[in-house]
Amino acid sequence: MGKTTTAAATAIHAAKSGRRTLLLSADASHSLSDVLGRRVGASSVEIIPNLTAIEVDAHAEIKRHWGKVHDFLVSLFEHQGIDGVLAEELALLPGAEEITTLFAVDEFARSGDYDFAVVDCAPTDTTLRLLTLPEVAHKSVRLLLKIQRSLAKVMTPLAKGMVSAPLPDAAVFAELEALLYAKLRGLRERIVAEDTTVRLVVTTEKMVIEEARRAFTDLCLFGLRCDAVVINRLLPEAALREPFYREWGDVQKDRTVSIAEAFAPLRILSGVLQREEVVGATALAEHGRDLFSDCEPDALLASVEPISFHRKGDQYSVTIPLPGADLGALNIAKVEGDLLVKSASMNRALKLPRRMALLDLSEAHFRDGVLSVFFRVSPVGSAGTPQGNA
Amino acid sequence: MGKGGVGKTTLSLATAMAAARSGHRVFVLSTDVAHSLGDALGRPVGPKPVEIAERVVAREVGALDELAQSWTEIQSWLRELLRDEAGEMVVEELLVFPGLEELLALRAICEVEATGDYDVCIVDCAPTGAALRMLRFPDALEVFMQNFFSLERAGAKLLRPLLGGTKAGRLLPSEAFFQAFERLYEDVRRVRAILMDNERTTARLVLNPTQVVIAEARRTFAYLGLYGIATDAVLINRVLPEEAASGYFERWSEREGAGLDEIAASFPVPQFTAPLQNREVIGTHALDQLAEQTFARTDPAEVLMHSRPFRMRKVGTETSIEIDLPGIDKEEIDLQNTGDELHLRVRDVSRRIGLPRSVVGREIAGSRFSRGVLYVRFCP
Repeated sequence: MGKTTTAAATAIHAAKSGRRTLLLSADASHSLSDVLGRRVGASSVEIIPNLTAIEVDAHAEIKRHWGKVHDFLVSLFEHQGIDGVLAEELALLPGAEEITTLFAVDEFARSGDYDFAVVDCAPTDTTLRLLTLPEVAHKSVRLLLKIQRSLAKVMTPLAKGMVSAPLPDAAVFAELEALLYAKLRGLRERIVAEDTTVRLVVTTEKMVIEEARRAFTDLCLFGLRCDAVVINRLLPEAALREPFYREWGDVQKDRTVSIAEAFAPLRILSGVLQREEVVGATALAEHGRDLFSDCEPDALLASVEPISFHRKGDQYSVTIPLPGADLGALNIAKVEGDLLVKSASMNRALKLPRRMALLDLSEAHFRDGVLSVFFRVSPVGSAGTPQGNA
Repeated sequence: MGKGGVGKTTLSLATAMAAARSGHRVFVLSTDVAHSLGDALGRPVGPKPVEIAERVVAREVGALDELAQSWTEIQSWLRELLRDEAGEMVVEELLVFPGLEELLALRAICEVEATGDYDVCIVDCAPTGAALRMLRFPDALEVFMQNFFSLERAGAKLLRPLLGGTKAGRLLPSEAFFQAFERLYEDVRRVRAILMDNERTTARLVLNPTQVVIAEARRTFAYLGLYGIATDAVLINRVLPEEAASGYFERWSEREGAGLDEIAASFPVPQFTAPLQNREVIGTHALDQLAEQTFARTDPAEVLMHSRPFRMRKVGTETSIEIDLPGIDKEEIDLQNTGDELHLRVRDVSRRIGLPRSVVGREIAGSRFSRGVLYVRFCP
């Protein structure tokens, strides 16, 4: 899709306009070195004046960040007759790598005197979920610790003969909990902060657009702000004159419109397919200038409140900010997994979260420029109404 | 396998069409959370297997559907766990805990094998980072099972009668939960054996002839070797056909030539070329055509090159391990011996290699890296 290229072009453009910029790769499979055309590693490298780049090394970060957790596990394992836990083993535990990467990103971003940090991440894998979930991660961790702790309380006296591990006492758990809680809360605050925003990168291929639509819904679902979609690899006029690409030109025109409908009110940025692959600082700077020809790379590019999803008992709802709209003129329908909102002047197609896609539309309100659409569970035996009007 | 956006789904399906044409019964399984099979076929594919063409069945593994349908024990425990905590959020989306997706993907492969109804199973993987996480998952599960699982289970058994109907009691996983988990563990072990059997499973790398993509694919090739998975072909997608290579695309085309040369030099396996089409490849008809152009008369269900990237050798009393790690620098390799395991790290990826009984506890006599092969010798 060009996520790394877009991230690098954004950062280089910002640095060239005088912002002290940090460019971080949080994708487990780093491509930053390849895109910049020079080796970037786990410690900061200056790419051009004002621009520092880092590829986060999750293993090294686990060694740094998880000191206490690590010590705790080592002592537990030693008593079980195992030679201790290597950081490598800890890193294998699901989620450890992703959450550590996020901590590292946060820490790097705070560490230097940066005006602007650009993070290149793989949006459709687990990272996204963790990115959106420090709050829940914290709650789950707390519950797990609670269970562990109650286990430990009973078992410490009982277990002496049974289990060879002396179970850690409540104080150790409390310490662990505090450690994780503070960190996770800090992370969550950073992620939902007013000045943090997500930019999605798509091409005009159907598959890519559909995937980005699902990512957009997931991001909204967990309260993250998105402000722009970059359409990458757009064929310029000169390319469309080639007969081979004629049909691609028609497709491109249609898809550009459907992208605008699917991601509104996000700002659409156009990344044109260059005459050759965009690699190295010079080409990236040029690409960045094209992308941000009429806006600033570090500005919030869409100022509307984000779309949000809610649940109260069995009633689910979505609120969509539509400043200036008129409820009477709105046509609202659910078609397959999409919520369609139409009026004379606009078309919206929002992919619903998986759970809500199974429900029926029930009602809609419009207040202070915000549309609320409610859903309910289909009556048993009914096939569900495919369409409904507000 | 391949980087995001290179055309993994399209070529997985094209491979399926070509294999079906050669008479095989084919199962296509998408393990990418962001499923695209439906988008590429122009018709919905879901968690239930559907026939998409003659002799071709497809399925997208859905974590939430799996949880809802077959994992009542695990699901009800999670629900209880999150009940008071999730507040007004859409709880179901939260049930997908880290590792679950990898677990389900591996288990789905196991299920296809268990039916015995198919000659070949094509796995359309997630982009590289997530796909490697899937391959690494059996190791992770092993760590968990060996070190935590039995303790938790014993604890829960002890506590269940004590905590009875209290809130803490509700939060305690049931014995059925542990049994469900154990069955999963067995499945994952079985899949690992299938994946590492070089005569049964091979990886195909999908790439585009551009610098950034090639660089990533080269690393992936080595990582697959590290996991003991043989790569038997590279599929080069979106190669400009002659009529698409002039005018605006002249520079692209020149660079592409250099890229193709680099691919030929970097990947010592058969190569197949899928040309860029003049329209989007959607639907079985278009996929069939692409399959024809890509594979011609080759039956892609065959193992296209036999290799064993991970070899254990015994010469006299000396045991050694050899691992193919092409395209990697010596400095990028880190090796540790814990006595019963070898911890091998290559750039961003690590693997725990359980040592055979004959060398457990032996010191490493020496290791050397030459021409893309790592040799580790153990003391007799």
